[in-house]
Amino acid sequence: MTRLLQKIVVAIALRLLHAALVELQLLDCTMAQELQKLPKGMSFAIHTGHKAPALTVRWDGRRLQRVIEAGYAAQCTLRIKALAISFRLFTGQMGLAHAYAQHALTVAGEIANVMRLARLVNRAEAYLFPPFISHRILPELPKLEVSPIRVYARIVFGFLKSTYS
Amino acid sequence: MNPAYFEFQNAVKLLCGQDALERIPDELRHMEAEKPLLLTDAVLLRLGIVKKVHDVMQAEGCVPAALFTDIPVDSSLSVVNRIVAFYREHECDAIVAVGGGSVIDSAKGARLVLSQERDDILSISGMENLHCGRHIPFIVVPTTAGTGSECTGVAVIRNDEQAVKMEFLSPFVEPDVAVLDARMTQRLPARATASTGVDALCHAIEASTCLQSNPLSSAYSMAAIKLISTNLLRATRCGSDIDARLAMSIAATMAGIAFSNSMVGAVHAIGHALGGVCHVPHAEAMGILLPHVLNFNLPVAADGYARILPEMVGWDRAAVIPSSQRGCSLVQAVRELLIQLHECAGIPLRLLEVGVTESQLVRVAETAVNDGALIVNPRAMSVEQIVNVLREAL
Repeated sequence: MTRLLQKIVVAIALRLLHAALVELQLLDCTMAQELQKLPKGMSFAIHTGHKAPALTVRWDGRRLQRVIEAGYAAQCTLRIKALAISFRLFTGQMGLAHAYAQHALTVAGEIANVMRLARLVNRAEAYLFPPFISHRILPELPKLEVSPIRVYARIVFGFLKSTYS
Repeated sequence: MNPAYFEFQNAVKLLCGQDALERIPDELRHMEAEKPLLLTDAVLLRLGIVKKVHDVMQAEGCVPAALFTDIPVDSSLSVVNRIVAFYREHECDAIVAVGGGSVIDSAKGARLVLSQERDDILSISGMENLHCGRHIPFIVVPTTAGTGSECTGVAVIRNDEQAVKMEFLSPFVEPDVAVLDARMTQRLPARATASTGVDALCHAIEASTCLQSNPLSSAYSMAAIKLISTNLLRATRCGSDIDARLAMSIAATMAGIAFSNSMVGAVHAIGHALGGVCHVPHAEAMGILLPHVLNFNLPVAADGYARILPEMVGWDRAAVIPSSQRGCSLVQAVRELLIQLHECAGIPLRLLEVGVTESQLVRVAETAVNDGALIVNPRAMSVEQIVNVLREAL
């Protein structure tokens, strides 16, 4: 697969991940509780490779806002070492724990924050991927509180309303 | 089956055995260091252990430029920053750390800050995120046989403000030289010998069964387990047994190399939290938690535990145990070893013995769930599951 195509897929996956986190805060109690534990103002950045898509989010105490400001320094930056690895990570070929185990990530900031982020991403992935994929990439399949179809429906509706911009 | 991908690094030069201490000055000269800072703690100074190192350095014409001894049992970020300031104030050009885990990890933290030319260790927190920076010659002389910190790429340092133990992971944390000399551990009390030995055992078992385990780290783990099972009781019962002491030092170093390359798991994640929240000494927390976490992981890690069993109990004994029961037998063998160590050295077996109360368990679990070691534990753990494990260990 060409690098350009990988970039497009990863960019879409990052937007989808953010949208899922926003929607699951409203639909999934476990996710909401996990987010509420974040310190207000906490920010995470995910970099997916050299000149590759990135996602920066900031918890404002109520919602996980996407930060589009250039050069914003997040409190916790998770850098995936290569786009090819990001592609595998965001297409359900590899879980975050395995990426960590394979030294595929570097972290700037407190490692405790990565653990928080990992729990959020793992839970979101359990909704976004079909069970046969989630089962392979997640350390344990969580009990879903709502139907993934409902989550996807809200995400589509959210994109149509430009909720996540 | 081979892992899809793994990394392995160990660049530490090991000086091990007779007259190992006497070779420190030569190593410093090779690294063009003339003004080493000697780092240790007040207890080791009082026991005369530091004097041995100081004297051999002096005899070979390498006098330490300064001595820093203000390192508590449970070192913190502020101690690290003070060492950095002290190093600069005395214009040192190398670090020689003599001590246990707290001293070595503080020295590692200080060396990292100095090499990155910063003032505050918090500004460089993270994982594999640093460039090599300036080279600060760094020699480590462990006085316990357990942490393996002399050969690892991680420093664990307490954050007093948040009451957590923070991990700083970088290949540039590794010392240049580690010195294993039985004279350094010979006077270690039986209880400390036993509990630090269990810490090494814990490193080896977790390193060989966690998600990051790889063929090389497993080889180190297995060899370490064999040495520990053969020598830990001997070293605990007879501290003057030089052979057992040195074997334990080698085992701890090998287990350190193993977990430095494959991480640890839930025993360490919960143990760090117990240290951060309840000030339980790390090695004692390991001994208390190990059988309970092994038991929790058993449904997914039985095969890994079965592979360890022969190293732990010997091939003759392991061979007569049905393969389906070997995982369970490892947990039992660990329990038996801990009971023997409890009887001969008084290591604690329950959390109550080290002052942990029921009311602290949830806070410990909420801290543990954010510890980096948990991500590679073979079985995922929620706060509730950690609380259950802690209750069993109470």
